[in-house]
Parts: sequence; structure tokens; C-alpha cells
Amino acid sequence: MAPPAQALDGSALQALLARSALGDRAAFRALYQATAAKLFGVALRILRREDWAEEVLQECYVSVWRHAREYNATRAAPMTWMTSIVRNRCLDWLRRPNPEPLPDEALESIESENPGPLASLEQARDTAALARCLGGLDARQRQAIALAFFDGLSHAELARHLREPLGTVKTWVRRGLARLRNCLELQG
Amino acid sequence: MNCRDKPALRERLAAEYALGTLRGRARERLRRWLRDDPELARGVAAWEARLAPMARAIEPVAPPARVWPKIEQQLNFKKPSSFWKTLGLIASGAAAALIAVAVLLPPQRAGGTASYIAILTDPKTSHPVLVATAERGETVLRVNTLDPAIHVAGRSLELWALPRGGAPRSLGLVSHERGLLKLLAPADQSLGDVPALAVSLEPQGGSPTGQPTGPVLYTGPCVKYW
Repeated sequence: MAPPAQALDGSALQALLARSALGDRAAFRALYQATAAKLFGVALRILRREDWAEEVLQECYVSVWRHAREYNATRAAPMTWMTSIVRNRCLDWLRRPNPEPLPDEALESIESENPGPLASLEQARDTAALARCLGGLDARQRQAIALAFFDGLSHAELARHLREPLGTVKTWVRRGLARLRNCLELQG
Repeated sequence: MNCRDKPALRERLAAEYALGTLRGRARERLRRWLRDDPELARGVAAWEARLAPMARAIEPVAPPARVWPKIEQQLNFKKPSSFWKTLGLIASGAAAALIAVAVLLPPQRAGGTASYIAILTDPKTSHPVLVATAERGETVLRVNTLDPAIHVAGRSLELWALPRGGAPRSLGLVSHERGLLKLLAPADQSLGDVPALAVSLEPQGGSPTGQPTGPVLYTGPCVKYW
């Protein structure tokens, strides 16, 4: 019954968000149906536990409803805005006061080859540009950025996972991001 | 410590916050800065937009069916009061204000009475900020700004009709004092099925998309007078 997120383009999601900001519950429900699977996928990938991802997803939609008025369409696409809410909430979740630190096995189990989703970056123009620019980075820079984005790894976790000194990993991330920006600006 | 005058550091922190590698105290501190540093917030938003295509590559996973009812419960949606019923309540609550405004309105010419009135209020203060009126057979909406402080330099305020069950429809931009907005059809057709109006903050010249793009600042019921 829920239309997949891809079926609704940015302007449709934007209209749903605008109506949600005005208190329209039916629009909010449609927004949930259109976006929940995508955002649940994002949360699940970072948190790796369904019960946690479920809780975070619930909190995030409550927050989207309450803050829908603050959404600014000139600054972010609707999906980008909501994805950032979910990713930030996931990172907060991972550093709750009673942390269950990520066990080494979990870090081991993260795919080490150039991480999965990167391979499926395709078609859309901005997607293709980002894929090209990521492709132009050193393999280690690309891997560190992808692991941080998709899997929510911190610098320290990246260092453990990649078995490299913390300082080295930090430099990869920093230089990788700077090169990414330059490349995207040239493509722009 | 502050990073305001260190553009390279700001850029690095914005990028690492968006990527998610900024953690612990550094993350908390950046979040505090974001609240009153719009330029830094723009930097983070730009990085979120740059990295956003990566999120599109993540496989969607349908969440369990129990999640939506929990969201509804947490937001107290369970009571049957719908958005429109809520508006109805606001409308009846605002009846006194409506009558007061009707009395204050400039006298209508003979034979004419304002038959649609909308009073938009600021949700933070509950003060009315804008009144729009139209006579039923006419194609003109009279818009009076009650609080001149609502205007924002370099931005436009756009007035929207919120038809029952449809997408918002632009009525035009709110001018500084009193303005007349042309309706596409006589008020009975343009506003007959419009229980509420809203004002959103838009780039100068109005929404580039035909739908509200900025924050919705003011809303209020649009009431037919007889």
C-alpha cells in the first residue's frame, strides 16, 4: 500500500511536509508511507539492531512532525533533511550514557571490500557526480568515508576496523572530504 | 574556543559533522554553535546535500507495521479529532476576534459585506497578525497586515489557500500594509472550499516551486460569514 519513496519526487514530499507543518495528519501519514522504508534502511545499517532502529525511526518521525515548520526547502531536499535527522539520531543513540560498545566481531563483520552500497550509486545526475568523485579518491580515503557514512563508524572505530593508527585514519577522512568537495565543485 | 574567524577549520568541522565522524564533546560543541551561526549551519547543510546521494544507495527495509501506530500514539493522534475539526474549534474560539475585526473593518460599500474573513495568528504569541477579507461575488481579496513587524527584509511573505484535501494554492504575496490580491475566480469559488489560509516565508518574489518552500509562519481559519 505504501508507495516507495522513489515514486514520490522531491516536490511531492515537499508538499507533504508543508501540509504536515500545518497539522495535516493525513499528509503526515502519506509522508511516512513514502519515506519510512528508506529511513529504516539507513538506521538499520548504522545501528545493526532492529529494535534500536525501530525506536530511532519512531523518535525521528515524532521529531519531523514537531519540527516540520522549520523545514526550509531552499536549503535541503526533503529526503536529505529527514535522512540527516535519522543519521544524527543514530549517532546520538550509539553514544548514550550506557553504551554497549560495538564488539570487535561487529566491526569485523562490516564488509571490508569497497563497501556495498557504493557500487549501486548510479543514474541520477548528482548521484553520478558523487560516484565519479568518490571513484577519484584514493581507495583508503574512499573506504574510510564510506564506512563513516554508511555504517556510522567514528574515527576510533575506523582505526580499529582498518587496523591503522588513529591519526592516519583522520587524515584520510579529512583529505578525502576536501578532495571530494573540490571534485564536486568542478563537476558542478 | 571559537571557529568563527577560521574558515578552514569551520569547513572541516562542517564536513565531519555531516559525515558523522565528529563525536563526543566536539560534536556537542558544534551543535551549540549551529544554533546561532547560520553560516556554519549552511556549511553543514551543503555537506549533507553533497553526501545525500550516498544514502540513496542504501537498500530500503520496510519497518514493522507496529511503528506507525506507536508514532500516532506518541503524537496523540488517536482521538478522532481531525485537522479540520481542530480548525473548526479554533474558528469558534476565534469568533470573538472575528466579530471585533468585523467591527473595525472599513465600512463596506452599499450592498456589499465581507463574506469571507480569515484571521491569521502567530502560533507563538496567539496574536493576530494579518486579516484577509473578500466579498462573495468579487474577485478581490483585501489583505491587511496588523503587525508590520512580520515583514522580513529581503524575503517575501506568501499567502496560501489550503483547500480541503488539496495542495496549498498561492493567493499572492503579502504587501507591506494593505493590499488587494486578485482572485482567479469570484470568492465563492476561490474560497468556498478553503477552511484555512496560511503564510509562508519565501525567497524574494515568492515560492519558486508553486508550493510553500519556507517555514509556515502564520495560519488561521477562513470563515464564511453567512
